[in-house]
Amino acid sequence: MSTASGTSNPEYVVARVRARKASLFGDDDYRKLVRMGPAEIARQMEESTYEDEINALGARYSGVDLVEYALNRDLAGQFDDVLGWTEGRLYDLIARYLRKFDAWNVKTVIRGLYSNVDRETVEADLIRAGEFSDRQVDRLLNAGSIEGVVEVLDGTLYGGPLADALEEYEDAGVLVPLENAVDRAYYEQLLANLVVDEATEMYREFLTAEIDFRNARNGLRLARSGADLDPAAYYIDGGRLFSASELSALSESRDELLARIRDSVYGDQLDNALTVVEETESLIGFERALETALQSYADRLGVVHPLSVTPVVSYILAKEREVDNIRAIARGREAGLSPERIEAELVVL
Amino acid sequence: MIETATQLASVVLQSSAPGIPATAAAALAVGLAALGAGYAERGIGAAAVGALAEDESLFVRGLIFTVLPETLVILALVVVFLV
Repeated sequence: MSTASGTSNPEYVVARVRARKASLFGDDDYRKLVRMGPAEIARQMEESTYEDEINALGARYSGVDLVEYALNRDLAGQFDDVLGWTEGRLYDLIARYLRKFDAWNVKTVIRGLYSNVDRETVEADLIRAGEFSDRQVDRLLNAGSIEGVVEVLDGTLYGGPLADALEEYEDAGVLVPLENAVDRAYYEQLLANLVVDEATEMYREFLTAEIDFRNARNGLRLARSGADLDPAAYYIDGGRLFSASELSALSESRDELLARIRDSVYGDQLDNALTVVEETESLIGFERALETALQSYADRLGVVHPLSVTPVVSYILAKEREVDNIRAIARGREAGLSPERIEAELVVL
Repeated sequence: MIETATQLASVVLQSSAPGIPATAAAALAVGLAALGAGYAERGIGAAAVGALAEDESLFVRGLIFTVLPETLVILALVVVFLV
């Protein structure tokens, strides 16, 4: 990327990002929101940073749809803003991280085609925050078949791995190889040529933790479902907690897997969550604990290295959390769940 | 031989004209201090403009923080009067 060289401007970006992070919804706001209906939530959002999106979409949608579309659009807008401010190496690092939305979009389109969902529905789930331009995303949507998607992606960093995985998909008829190809391509580019100084060293540790958590979550899900799937097929390279073969062996026994996580470097942070999993067999709590741990890790790095990519990543995570939380509240209220029940589902630090 | 060496040394040590005159050195000190202040203000200014873009009410505070390193130059200016 040509913009990867040259000086970056962390001071400016971090100041703006911190201001935006401070204006995210807090505990009190969530407590209010869980007692509201979808229409009231939309109104509450209109009074916050989501004003433009709600106004723009308010004529076309209402209720939960309005909330959802506004959230997605705001998320994409916010991250586009961040990319617009940054220069130099900082831009490169943030763009790499935000490619997870490209990966998400590619996977969503493929899933949509696989399950024959109509274009509108797929489009509603896309988050146009990554590096792909609107035109590229539209071409993905118009591809019409999974082979078409792979063709459209030819030349991007997902093109090669997807083309390789296509054959396997055609043989087996399951999406796993394709989705793994996308995930792996994403994480590979994320970690490539990353470390230049102490801050990026720490940043890489954070990314390693993210990958570890992902692997742990996948392993636990597989162990719980008891499905006859090879966990190594879902394994993402780059973590330090397990290797692919270890994950296969561990996912056969949930207790061993939990013991392994408890003994690892993440043991202290996840201690309470692990106990809950052991007692209740509920993974929701554990997954929330993973997200909370990741968020507080990013926050801490952001304080330790204030003039690096880490405060920005911490904001990106926090913003995603907020969007997830508000969506969960809106959906939960629509489904008639009690406020206490919804509150238990939220990820709040 | 040794005699001439000691003579030379005494001449060198006694010659009282320094490499740069005192006023020039003071000017240099102020200039370097200004350079340092400028570098410090670069980061603060960028951050202040960033904060300002998000919240305009921070204008005064941002301005104050941005010019804080100017005190370096003012202190360095004292040298000029001491010389």
